Amino acid sequence: MSTARAEVAAEELPSLATRNPISRSAVLRSLWRSRTGRTGAVLLVVLVLFCYLGPLIHPTNQTDVDLLNAALPPGDGFPLGTDSNGFDVLGRLMQGGQVSLQIGLLAAVFATTLGTIYGAVAGLVGGVVDGIMMRVVDVLLSIPFLFFVLIIAARFTATPLTLSLVIGGFSWLVAARLIRGEVLSLRVREFVSAARLMGASNRRLIFSHLIPNTFGVIIVNLTFQVADSIIVLAALGYLGFGLSYPVTDWGSQLSSGVSFLAADYWWLIYPVGGFIVLTVLALNLLGDALRDAIEHRSP
Amino acid sequence: MWFLLRRVLVSLVVLLGISLVVFLMLNLISDSPGRAALGQQASQAAVDAFNREHGYDRPVLIQYVDYLLQLLRGDLGRSYKLNEEVGTLLLQNAPRSAMLSLAGLVLALVIAIPLGILQAVRRGRFIDRAATSISYLLYATPSFLIALVLIGIFSQTIPLFPAEASQSSSPWVVFTDPRSMALPLITLAITNVVVFAQYQRSAALEQLGMDYIRVARAKGASERIVLTRHLLRNAITPIITLVGVLIPTLLAGNLIVEAVFNYPGLGLLFLNSLHREDYPVLLAYTLIGGALTVIGNLVADLVVARADRRIELGR
Amino acid sequence: MLTIRDLSVEITHGDRIVRPVTGVDLELHRGETLGIVGETGSGKSMTGLAVMGMLPGGGRVVSGSIDFDGTELVGLGDAAYRRIRGNDISMVFQDSMTSLNPTRSVGDQVAEPLQLHRGMSLRAARRSAAEMLALVGIPRPQERMGDFPHQLSGGMRQRVMIAMALICEPRVLIADEPTTALDVTIQAEILELLGELKQQLGMAMILVTHDMGVVVRHADRVGVMYGGRLVETGRTADLFRSTRHQYTHALLASIPTLAQDKDVELFSIPGSPPDPADPQIGCRFAPRCAAATERCRTETPRPVAGPGEGHLFACWNPVDERQATREVRRFDASGIASSETDAQPVRLSVVDLRKEHPVSAKGVFGRRRSVKAVAGVSFEVRAGEAFGLVGESGCGKSSLGRMLVALDAPTSGEVLLDGDRVSGLSPRRLGSRRAKLQMMFQDSHASLDPKMRIDAILCEPMIIQGIGTAEERAERARALLAGVGLGASILERYPHELSGGQRQRIGLARALALDPDVLVADEPVSALDVSIRSQVLNLMRGIQRERGLSSVVISHDLAVVRYLVDRVGVMYLGALVEVGATDEVYTRPAHPYTAGLLAAVPVADPDLADTPVDRVHGELPSPLDPPSGCRFRTRCPLATDLCARVEPVLEDVGDDHAVACHFPLQPKLRETTTAEALTAGEAR
Repeated sequence: MSTARAEVAAEELPSLATRNPISRSAVLRSLWRSRTGRTGAVLLVVLVLFCYLGPLIHPTNQTDVDLLNAALPPGDGFPLGTDSNGFDVLGRLMQGGQVSLQIGLLAAVFATTLGTIYGAVAGLVGGVVDGIMMRVVDVLLSIPFLFFVLIIAARFTATPLTLSLVIGGFSWLVAARLIRGEVLSLRVREFVSAARLMGASNRRLIFSHLIPNTFGVIIVNLTFQVADSIIVLAALGYLGFGLSYPVTDWGSQLSSGVSFLAADYWWLIYPVGGFIVLTVLALNLLGDALRDAIEHRSP
Repeated sequence: MWFLLRRVLVSLVVLLGISLVVFLMLNLISDSPGRAALGQQASQAAVDAFNREHGYDRPVLIQYVDYLLQLLRGDLGRSYKLNEEVGTLLLQNAPRSAMLSLAGLVLALVIAIPLGILQAVRRGRFIDRAATSISYLLYATPSFLIALVLIGIFSQTIPLFPAEASQSSSPWVVFTDPRSMALPLITLAITNVVVFAQYQRSAALEQLGMDYIRVARAKGASERIVLTRHLLRNAITPIITLVGVLIPTLLAGNLIVEAVFNYPGLGLLFLNSLHREDYPVLLAYTLIGGALTVIGNLVADLVVARADRRIELGR
Repeated sequence: MLTIRDLSVEITHGDRIVRPVTGVDLELHRGETLGIVGETGSGKSMTGLAVMGMLPGGGRVVSGSIDFDGTELVGLGDAAYRRIRGNDISMVFQDSMTSLNPTRSVGDQVAEPLQLHRGMSLRAARRSAAEMLALVGIPRPQERMGDFPHQLSGGMRQRVMIAMALICEPRVLIADEPTTALDVTIQAEILELLGELKQQLGMAMILVTHDMGVVVRHADRVGVMYGGRLVETGRTADLFRSTRHQYTHALLASIPTLAQDKDVELFSIPGSPPDPADPQIGCRFAPRCAAATERCRTETPRPVAGPGEGHLFACWNPVDERQATREVRRFDASGIASSETDAQPVRLSVVDLRKEHPVSAKGVFGRRRSVKAVAGVSFEVRAGEAFGLVGESGCGKSSLGRMLVALDAPTSGEVLLDGDRVSGLSPRRLGSRRAKLQMMFQDSHASLDPKMRIDAILCEPMIIQGIGTAEERAERARALLAGVGLGASILERYPHELSGGQRQRIGLARALALDPDVLVADEPVSALDVSIRSQVLNLMRGIQRERGLSSVVISHDLAVVRYLVDRVGVMYLGALVEVGATDEVYTRPAHPYTAGLLAAVPVADPDLADTPVDRVHGELPSPLDPPSGCRFRTRCPLATDLCARVEPVLEDVGDDHAVACHFPLQPKLRETTTAEALTAGEAR
């Protein structure tokens, strides 16, 4: 070994202690540091706890109709009043919240999974196959989303599962486009060329290189998808195509509440609306903060 | 020239695809037209006879081809529920919806573009933070909720505007009867401004970080000149392209607004058809929506391509 | 005219404070050019921006003064500063593509300063702008007025930037790396243009650059900056001949020159330039300085006068006459010496290689245009030999490089490894030969997967090729690291935690992991700071000799190629115009382009600064439509009719020296008649 190299081998690695390695914990840490991230995360946690732990603290009867106590304003025993069937509104919010969150999450997972696989394949294979796959996406995307969803929803009885499938079944398009774009730009990056130089197969390229580098985008997309799904769910419910009684979600609650708009039964409308807004807000804040954290991490 | 041709060709293919998908979908999930026309009470035999008579028992693909030919003749089908030509129905309602959409769009742009740029220039300061917080909140609110809140405040608590939009058949009602159209317009504007302003903000921020802005300052230009002469043109282009792409979302937004305010436009027609299971209307509506989207994308692509072309030539 | 005293600049990022400039003293006199030289983090650009009053957001001058002809610039109000900017003091930036507004015409942008400062109408300003465009050497200026920035070439755009800066005839021009993004030949033209205009307009100029060669030829006085401080300043000749500061001395010694002796190791400065965010105690160069003492680490050196007028330096242990003749270290004699390679078998053979890229398929129905990136290149590389490919942008060397390692398939032609074809084969057919052809990339940042740790990166080639057990691989990874002079502690790190020099070494280590026969290095040091380059270059040279590797070094930097290779090929617009033994080609260039290239390279030797330069003029033709016949004829002073009709082929002018030219600068061994030339040309 020549003297130059011996010299250099003794070289220090300066200020390495201050640099954080890329890891999930590092991303989470920078997420916590940003105000949007903190707010979003805390808010979300609070809401989830409300929906799932709430009934344990404030148990209510959500199955037996009690018309004697129907449509009462907030008062003793009923912190947020009752609805037209006599159910405690606060308890109903928790119940509906569970369903809304579940559907939202399920739809988002479905959409993101399908979209990621589709987009990754299209981006990597390229050529004619990519062209056809993307034309299909274009066609489906050109149809106004709500129309599609409504047509399907109008036909089939709405259960949480079918609604998740319907919503997810059309949200995956955006994810597909997004992931394809990422894969396309990664494909020409030099580290992919370097891997090919070593003799890496396509399979290895996808799993060892492309997916780890798109992971961040996938997670961000998932978060926003949950938010969008909840909004679409609410709209469906409002328009009358949501879940049918006794299963309920926030959208349906809002829908039935609105019919009392003129009667000024505000407790049937604004609390539900507020919860929808807060949940979606929390998810959006979280998604934005995640996006920032990930963009700063990757070179 | 060739580029234009190729894009148009692709758009036509996409349109064809849309028609096929929608047609198949409706065909699969809906009752046979016989059932739809004669109602649930009619006997199966009568329904079958109806279907046979009108050719609804043939293979799906043949019906599809038939439908395409029919479309080429300009015939959008017939609504049995309303006993009207679909084309007529659409034409009756289209101008009103278009007017509302357009007015909402213009209003939104007029507010969003200056706001977005202002936010970018005053980044981090009060106006930026306030506007961003409010837009976060509003973005998380479904549009119908915004509409309901507006009704609650401006129609019930302070009786300023009516809760129901004008039922007049004239599309110009936006201008002739502004009081009754105020809330729908404001709702549309709010939902759009929220998206546009943030978009414009990031577009403007991106441009502000560019070297040529720095160079303009190095020439001794004042901030005002830097903004108007240099930033403006470059910051606005992205949002113009965005508008082209957003047409389908606008239509859907219309749907909800029309539903809440009971405005007799295409959106309400669609919803009612949905409830009535009036499939010819739904089919035609979705097709038109798709066509508009494709056209919107095409126009946006052309605008972008023209800018890109110059870059291509330059290389 | 401009006096900077004790200037210090601070930039606040949230809660972090960075000091890019500390205590700088500089003077600029009327009619002279002051060069400010430094690397990344030296603060040279920040100094220029401070003079313009254009520090980035969060930045401010915390102490010191900038006196401009009696006016104090520090603390000057916005309105007053605006009157000065673009009017009395102007600035030219590095990246002309992003520095021009893409949606306004070139003419309007050049005219703008006149509107701002002289209150001229647009029409009158436009007239003056057209005149200015002519002055900066833009052909047919009237037609160019309506063009948009993206329609012009890099060199043209830079001229537009200069026109924009000079149109109000400022008294001072600050040029911040004005030619770094340009090809060497264009760079020479732009720098000469700046010099001419400076004289014509009676300006003073500040030339900020990292290239020592540039200041030698174009600056009257020089200031060397390191770590935010001015370490040495004085008249150019004094600085180079009587260097006092250790950093200046080390920097000059580490740059490979065109006359570098290949068997001697380059002087190498260990470590990397300091981070401006680090707190400063003592001399900032101390951690890397061979002559550093305890005092250097604790006390900040104060400026002291040196020989020569106005020569100041800040060093506790300055260079003295003894040290000036640096010790020479020669490479180990083991391995194949360059003189023996002729006897070795041919390892890599390139036969008439061509590569065409169709122009972006944005709906081109009609004419199918394509970029002819590589147009019929042939050469051979023997075992243990280092072959270089030089050329400027667009010459096709990178495309060629990728084809050499079978990363891209050629449009036609072949690449042979030990006689067997390796080009255009499927990965399966390529089989075990895949491992024999490896590449070291230019941008280590992009060529290392950011999500993978270094140990995974180094082991990956072995895992894919199924070599060894996990333990053996780990052992080999450690050995590879040691081979490039890095410690095993790096194995757990991620790429973004390492410096540029370290990453480049990892790239090299990875390329060697499979024990290849052929290594192609694409711009191996271009992305590195000047003081780090020699480390990597020494490394590469050492490894190449030790392992008897056949290597192909692709670079636009002629000095780097000179140092690393035994034989060199010069490329222009996709064709090989000259090839031969490095010493031969560099000392007796036969092709006019080679001669022009060599003449245009800025050399950091004041004695050569005054020799008249026989440069290459004009702009690079578009690769979509290369000139007929000889591609270089549009810029060649010797071009004739024959050159337009017939494309020349490689012919010998020496023992190991061939050139493709009808009128080479060195006589051909076999004089071809015009008829023969015609038939040979038609055969192409």
